Amino acid sequence: MAEEITIKVGFGDHFRDLTVRLQDGDIAPWQPDQQLDVVGKRLPRLDAVAKVTGTAKFAQDQNPAGMIHGRILRSPHPNADIRSVDLSAAKAMPGVRAVLTVPEVFEDSSARFAGAEIAAIAADTEQQADAAMRAIQVEYDIKDFCVTIDTSMEDGAPQVGRGDQKNVQRVSPRSRGRRRGGNANPGADQQVLDRMAAREKEVSALLAASDVVVEGTFRTQVQTHAPFETHGAVCSWEDGQLVCWASTQATFGFRGELTSNWGQVKASECRVLSEYVGGGFGSKFSAGREGVIGALLAKEAGVPVKMMLDRSGEQTSAGNRPDALQKMRMGVNKDGVIQALQIRSWGTPGSGTGGAGAHNDGIYKLGEVDKVEYGVRTNCGGARAHRAPGWPQGSFALEQMMDMAAHSLDGIDPIEFRKKNDDHPIRVAEYDIAKERIGWNKARVRGGASNICTGVGIASNLWFSAGGGGASALVRISKDGSVEIRNGAQDIGTGTRTVMGMVAAEELGIPLDMVSTRIGDTNDPQGPMSGGSTTIGTLTPAARLAAHYAKKELLAVVADRKGWDPTDLDIRKARVIRNDGSDTGLSFHDACQLMDDDAIEVLKARPRRNYAGFSDTNAGVQAAEVEVDMETGVVRVKKVVAVADAGKLINPMTAESQVRGGVIQGVSYALTERRIMDRHKGRMLNDDLENYKILGSLDCPEIDVVLVDVYNGKSNTQVMGLGEPPIVATAAAVANAVADAIGTRVFEIPITPKKVLEAIASKKAPDPGGKKKGARL
Amino acid sequence: MDKKPEEPPEGVSRRHFLKGAGAAAAAVSVAQLPSEVQGSNGTEDEPTILGPGPVPIQLRINGVDGQTEAAPSTTLLDLLRDHQGLTGAKRVCDRGSCGACTVLLDGRTVDSCSMLAIDAVGSEITTVEGIGTPENLSDLQQAFIEKDALQCGFCTPGMVVSCTALLKENPSPDREQIRRGISGNICRCGTYQNIIEAVEHVSRKGGK
Ligand code: FES
Ligand code: FES
Repeated sequence: MAEEITIKVGFGDHFRDLTVRLQDGDIAPWQPDQQLDVVGKRLPRLDAVAKVTGTAKFAQDQNPAGMIHGRILRSPHPNADIRSVDLSAAKAMPGVRAVLTVPEVFEDSSARFAGAEIAAIAADTEQQADAAMRAIQVEYDIKDFCVTIDTSMEDGAPQVGRGDQKNVQRVSPRSRGRRRGGNANPGADQQVLDRMAAREKEVSALLAASDVVVEGTFRTQVQTHAPFETHGAVCSWEDGQLVCWASTQATFGFRGELTSNWGQVKASECRVLSEYVGGGFGSKFSAGREGVIGALLAKEAGVPVKMMLDRSGEQTSAGNRPDALQKMRMGVNKDGVIQALQIRSWGTPGSGTGGAGAHNDGIYKLGEVDKVEYGVRTNCGGARAHRAPGWPQGSFALEQMMDMAAHSLDGIDPIEFRKKNDDHPIRVAEYDIAKERIGWNKARVRGGASNICTGVGIASNLWFSAGGGGASALVRISKDGSVEIRNGAQDIGTGTRTVMGMVAAEELGIPLDMVSTRIGDTNDPQGPMSGGSTTIGTLTPAARLAAHYAKKELLAVVADRKGWDPTDLDIRKARVIRNDGSDTGLSFHDACQLMDDDAIEVLKARPRRNYAGFSDTNAGVQAAEVEVDMETGVVRVKKVVAVADAGKLINPMTAESQVRGGVIQGVSYALTERRIMDRHKGRMLNDDLENYKILGSLDCPEIDVVLVDVYNGKSNTQVMGLGEPPIVATAAAVANAVADAIGTRVFEIPITPKKVLEAIASKKAPDPGGKKKGARL
Repeated sequence: MDKKPEEPPEGVSRRHFLKGAGAAAAAVSVAQLPSEVQGSNGTEDEPTILGPGPVPIQLRINGVDGQTEAAPSTTLLDLLRDHQGLTGAKRVCDRGSCGACTVLLDGRTVDSCSMLAIDAVGSEITTVEGIGTPENLSDLQQAFIEKDALQCGFCTPGMVVSCTALLKENPSPDREQIRRGISGNICRCGTYQNIIEAVEHVSRKGGK
């Protein structure tokens, strides 16, 4: 019984009609002329009180009776095979209650980075566990290693992997006939190679025919996620059921790994609890070895085990944003239209298998693109999804190419150039907001007595985050007037809990403080992982539907008792009203009292598919203003304007926080963060928070967030996520601003004073070919 | 260690205590200790070897005196979290780099991960739990909530403690002073600007 409706989609003064066929009992999205009482309001987070008073209990804060402490022994060698692990002495140490070895549990006898797990111990105290770790005897077969892309790509470089795994492997276009992380089947791959050759020829011809060609080589560094709460869990076996208080961004995924027949734990029942999670940024999708180890140690010890990583383990083994080396050539015609782009890029998944790609051709109309990308194995901790995986590194390169191309065409302003090559329906309106608020046209400071030069730069975001199927919510309205909404997914700091509660409150017609929310418990209805910025896009339509049908049931009770027409009733501001807006004299509470049963409970799943909507993607534009000290090379980001959209905004305050957070991580990525590997020992030198530099309050710019509210019509809440998009453009905007300030370009992040001074010093050197005389970079 | 320590005055000050401990040199053999942490066989003449086993440690936390048994090597952070159930202060870097474990010692901020619990004997310790409770929030905590000065919330207790100390020292700090005041606290989620706004809000209203 699909119902067809016509809705308005769009934003600002860009609205149009769209006909939508509602599916699976879905309801119409909120419309622009509709008065909303809760949605769209700046409301404090529901868990804020617990967080500011220190009463919020994270996984790290759990302390079940009898709990002991787990520790993981890690390889000091970057590339070794484990010959043997002798635990006998360690087992005899005081307080030790459980031990295991990685070769036995994970059937993996290779340590391919310094920090790889070797064995684990649980003891009564952390000190006892540490002491026992020192008594573990490991024999290694030590091999040569590579810890940088450059060394790994050299001819005759030591092999990072095992078997016939090559160090350098093409990841895009995809090889044919590749199996289990191995190399391509040469025969089946030939077709791909032929197509690549044809593409290269075609794009080379287009480049040759373009009026101007610009080229550049860009490097980005490895960034670690460094969530404040480390990975891990407190694991406890209670009557055969495994209970894990886990620091995870995927409660259900965590449970799945521990109950799967393919896993190492194979718990018949498992409950994962994650009411509060101290950050994740993409690194906490899997239970990880630490999760498995915690569960197994707890089983052997017969008491709960706290198995949280220490900071060093976190920094070395729990994921990172891979580095990238990107070479680009862009052909542009005098009219400012991009003709073609050639990209060769390399990134390292570390000793892992995937995720090393850079999204460097996803924004703008780039003409014909010839892109070939390679993954380069290194003996370093494996890469993981990291807030907009691949995008900030891709944007850093592409956006600088955009500026270089604009500057090579006399008189084209970088923003006008972008507009010419951009057809995103939302972004086209966002450029001017960013331009005005950053003061794009105001005069730049150029040295003088203070040696300070200022500059501004611009870059764009793109994201795909309307969510999808896979979430249900349970709404319970009790006779005493209390309302509860439950979903088992987690809130990693993004505000998911609050947004879920707000959507339910809006639909039920009651204020937010009348709704209690329960999250982070796999005994509750299925919820999404916090990934791809799809969490609330996936979750809120289910929350709204459950609330809608619960309200309907309540109103049916009222209509039945009072002899009213149920279709004439609604609830608004906690009052039962008629369709004409008149009050029935009943409050929400009165209505609940009319129930025969103790409670109304409605469990609803959201439709699996989204509607066509206004736009499949979020856009966004960021502009940065920097000050560079020409004498010292120190860059200070003064201000970032972040224009962001995320479909319909449920809570502009938490949305703004997401954007600010993304920008700060982006500035941190642009200026200070970097994993440093010791080339001689192959170890991470800054596996801490002292030398791994995260941007602090003194270096944090002023961030001006402008949110664009978009009725995108993709679901009944029209929500898009916002965790990832705001980090995409920041480093690129900063880099463009630095180039504007110093009159030459830094092609590598982090933009350290040394690199700035080198760039200034080399400015006097003759221009490399391809650029016109007098053109700025 | 043959140097006879001075007579400890009533309620040994931390400074005096540290002086004594310095004279004893070795990390776990502490020459001069306040009576609360002296081993049972401790006398004034003989230096007392503490540990490695648990010793009684008497601390004043959030205005309440209490006694705990813990190894003398226990950090103040671990004592608060593991022995007192005060899990507001967090262990994040465990070496004084991030401020997530910040507590007040006689009104001044310290990284509780980087000091021993026995070094806090005789001092007034205030943790985030002592600054305000869900039923009785401090003005600053209220402002944190209103300005959304928290995301994942893991750095938040440390931030609340640092900002409380800052406002006590300087009730009307300017932006630069606030930035400086929280520069020992890192936030991975990026809440700095909201925190600055929260502190400004309190200072404008003359609260604490
Ligand atoms: S945990 Fe104490 S300063 Fe980081
Ligand atoms: S709120 Fe997550 S670290 Fe600060």
